[in-house]
Amino acid sequence: MTHLTGTELEPAPTPDLQGEPRRRRPALWPGWSVATRFPLLDVGLVLAAVIVIAGILAPWITPYPEDAGAAVHPESVLQAPSSAHWFGTDIVGRDIYTRVVFGARVSLGIVVVVLIVSALVGLTIGLAAGFFGGWVDAVLMRITDVFLAFPAMLLAVALAAVLSPSAFHAALAIAFTWWPWYARLARGQAATIRRQGYSDAARVLGAGPVRQLVRHVLPNASTAVFVQMSLDAAGIILTAATLSYLGLGAQDPTPEWGLMVAQGQSLATTAWWMITFPGLAILVTAVAFNFVGDGLQSALDPKRGQR
Amino acid sequence: MILDVRDLRVAYGKQVVAHVPELRLEAGQVLGIAGESGSGKSQTALALMGLTRYSGGVVSGSIVLDGRDLTVLTHRQWREVRGREIAMILQSPRAALNPTMKLGSLFERTLKLHGVARADRRQRMEQSLSEVILDSAILDRYPHEVSGGQAQRFAIALVAALRVKVLIADEPTSALDVTVQSEVIEVLRGLRERHNTSIVFISHDLAVLSELADHLMVMRNGSVVEQGATEAVIHDSQQDYTRDLIAAVPSIRGRAL
Repeated sequence: MTHLTGTELEPAPTPDLQGEPRRRRPALWPGWSVATRFPLLDVGLVLAAVIVIAGILAPWITPYPEDAGAAVHPESVLQAPSSAHWFGTDIVGRDIYTRVVFGARVSLGIVVVVLIVSALVGLTIGLAAGFFGGWVDAVLMRITDVFLAFPAMLLAVALAAVLSPSAFHAALAIAFTWWPWYARLARGQAATIRRQGYSDAARVLGAGPVRQLVRHVLPNASTAVFVQMSLDAAGIILTAATLSYLGLGAQDPTPEWGLMVAQGQSLATTAWWMITFPGLAILVTAVAFNFVGDGLQSALDPKRGQR
Repeated sequence: MILDVRDLRVAYGKQVVAHVPELRLEAGQVLGIAGESGSGKSQTALALMGLTRYSGGVVSGSIVLDGRDLTVLTHRQWREVRGREIAMILQSPRAALNPTMKLGSLFERTLKLHGVARADRRQRMEQSLSEVILDSAILDRYPHEVSGGQAQRFAIALVAALRVKVLIADEPTSALDVTVQSEVIEVLRGLRERHNTSIVFISHDLAVLSELADHLMVMRNGSVVEQGATEAVIHDSQQDYTRDLIAAVPSIRGRAL
């Protein structure tokens, strides 16, 4: 509003007929424009950060850390939410708030194990298939198809029968059925990238296949893989909760959300808090990771405006 | 004689897509290969780089580079030759740069791959960049932060730093606008004068070729239709097809060549 401050006698600034674009104030933080354009991503990131931090800090932010294990408190069985027990207590008197917060560790741990195992296996197989093509591609992708045909539940039942049911074995079972999706994704990426100009350039400068894969194909495929990983986190949490709900995953003293819902199910009418709070934890975590995944996908999509 | 090619054929199945009876190149000379799409000029270039096998093409005949027959090399031996004795620059300069890598990192890794000692790399990079009139600040940029002309000059700097004997330039100016084209040609001329690099320059544009090439080879439908000193081919062409190509060159001042 500088031209309305009383110096009206001065000639107004000549309008710039060249149509120079309006100068934008430099952002304090370069990611700001992305952050403002994808509000769901921000919500998801904040929620996910809260959940991760809560899981890490669990022993310090819960009133009864010993209740995360096999503690028994006969004097405080099945108490409704109160100031002493915010989320109430369960059938052996453990504080549900404590167990829900510790449960974040279990669920996130499962997510991390599944994502690392499936990304490692899937990327190795998929990149090799897409990059080398021909019979390598045919063999690797047929193997992938076989794994894809296994239902996760069936595999978890088998694993639980052979090994013992536990959160870690549930994670392995999920990873076992999860990696083929990464193999397919990576194969598509590698097949595209090896036809890009920079792959030709690497080849004419004498780069061998390993160098091309590690330096050129992998970094350029990684965006798609990271987006897929963030999209998958919610699905893995739900699958893990389902497995332990069915008794095929984490076992009793473990504060796993799906397991806690299963334990409270028969008491749903008398002790609503036993299923409500772990259920909400599953819901909020799944929604948070879904927001992050969807948000990243839109934010990294070049068709959605400038980067 | 730095490059001596005899009876080169590139075949996909029974289809011969390029046949070059003879191609000779002395050190520091520029050979221009002209022809329209599908004439076999790019397949000839791929054969010289030993790359047709990746798309299923089979090469017969002989390619002798500095006294060594390349057609008998294994994959591993080829990798030693590419980037050290012979290299290529491509049509879309920016697409030829990995978008996730800074130019400096790309440059340094390439020098390292070809055995340039760590202590010499920085100096080698800066010298080559100055030869193509690029500021060494470009080493801190990502490919999306440079123009097409800069990217192509960067590619030439990279090849210059590798001290290859033969450079194959496949349509190196076709994706660039005219003023940038002449910059790139200038830089290629400098490369040849400074390092005595032989260049095989492939283009559909005779005007561009005639600026640089000592000899011309005109290809059509996979065969060589005319071959000779540039002056002779341009001004005294024996073939209707070559004359058509010359006539197709747009002219601004009434005379293009």
